Amino acid sequence: MDLKTHTSGAATVVTLTGKLDTVTAPAFEKRIGEVIGSGAVRLVLDLSGIEYISCAGLRGLLVMSKLLKEKQGKACLVGVEGSVRSVFEMSGLLTFFRVEEMVEVAVASVGEGPENPGRR
Amino acid sequence: MIHVEKLRKSFGSLEVLKGITVEIRKGEVVSIIGPSGCGKSTFLRCLNLLEQPTAGTIRIDGVDVLDRRADVARLRQRMNMVFQSFNLFAHLLVVENLTLGPVRLKGMDPLQAREKAIGLLRLVGLAEKADSLPDELSGGQKQRVAIARCLAMEPDVILFDEPTSALDPTMVREVLSVIRRLAKEGMTMVIVTHEMDFARDVSSRVLYFDQGVIHEEGTPDQIFDHPRRDRTRAFIHRIRSLTRRFESPDFDLYALNAEVEAFCEKQILPRPVRDHVLLLIEESLHLCRPFLAAGGLEMTLSHSEATDRTELVWTAPGVRLNPLDGEDLEDTLSLNLVRNLCASVDHEWVDGVNRLKLVLKAGSER
Repeated sequence: MDLKTHTSGAATVVTLTGKLDTVTAPAFEKRIGEVIGSGAVRLVLDLSGIEYISCAGLRGLLVMSKLLKEKQGKACLVGVEGSVRSVFEMSGLLTFFRVEEMVEVAVASVGEGPENPGRR
Repeated sequence: MIHVEKLRKSFGSLEVLKGITVEIRKGEVVSIIGPSGCGKSTFLRCLNLLEQPTAGTIRIDGVDVLDRRADVARLRQRMNMVFQSFNLFAHLLVVENLTLGPVRLKGMDPLQAREKAIGLLRLVGLAEKADSLPDELSGGQKQRVAIARCLAMEPDVILFDEPTSALDPTMVREVLSVIRRLAKEGMTMVIVTHEMDFARDVSSRVLYFDQGVIHEEGTPDQIFDHPRRDRTRAFIHRIRSLTRRFESPDFDLYALNAEVEAFCEKQILPRPVRDHVLLLIEESLHLCRPFLAAGGLEMTLSHSEATDRTELVWTAPGVRLNPLDGEDLEDTLSLNLVRNLCASVDHEWVDGVNRLKLVLKAGSER
């Protein structure tokens, strides 16, 4: 799993690639905790480069969501497609996160309004 | 009719038959199935003494054929054999292949033998090829000639050693239909075959050979639809499996995934199914972590080529514990995923061992 960040407007776009599973989820939780700790609390998570995700990865996303809530931040996911989308659906988590198809729309959605964890 | 008792056959230090006991009655059609190298063909060759058994007895109508005084030539006339490679005489006409035995060995009049041969060729649908050479025939036609040649000796029993394995698939049917016809007419036959549908259809009894013994025997219905033993079931359903043991929570997931992917690739499972198998293993392993902490557990992933069913079984000794009954919120995601990935989820506790069986949904159910 690789994690890269860049700023787009008021949002921080976090691009993930590789596998998000039992092995890599702890590293993800650590890195995303550092990102949020540095003050980036309006996050767009681009999952289009994720080839495999398991519940360990989903739990990592829930940890991220909890950290953002503590800091009145919010997040939006993009690139939730194919097998990754079906894992979100089967686990029942798809409706928990705000999900958009395009990065620009996701950036706009986390950039507007007061800061709080995205939930629709 | 044929009574075989504790038949053994070794080639040097390799024991191929490890004590076969079976009785074949008049009019029975007995099919012998089993994996390659299990001793099926060796058993057949021992029956008509093409191989000399190492130990045991073979009695035909009460006569011990392994007795030194036994008339082997007479035995082979009574119990004739059809080989997978036809074994026709290439330099003789088709009809001459049929008349050679009756004229030379039984002293039949050549004209009478020819008349009978034409009748038998008609029976197998090849009367018009009577004056052809074997090389002018297709594989299926050669095998039908071989069967007619066998019938020319008026045997009491015909032994078929994989009669269709050397044939193009398009020619298999024509040979099998001749054998079916013989079965209907009450001919006693012992057939070594890999044609499962044929064996199911034509046999009165099926012997499943494995590792040099009759591992299971029964009617076609028992063997093909309700096999009692695991190895029979695995063979019938063409099940391949991968078993791994986990002793601690610090297992190497990526090494396991690599093995699972290689296994799935071997079974030619499509990419989405492989992903679901990997996911199911990871999630169920997460749910089974109490077993990991308590001394370990074993995983068996199996796939049936015949039914396209993929199954994951976890076994762990210890107190009764269904890992899917947990109320830990952290497990909810994994539980949801496992239930959505599986067509059925069963837990049982037998003789102090927990057994969790997860059957992956088939393509149409996903």
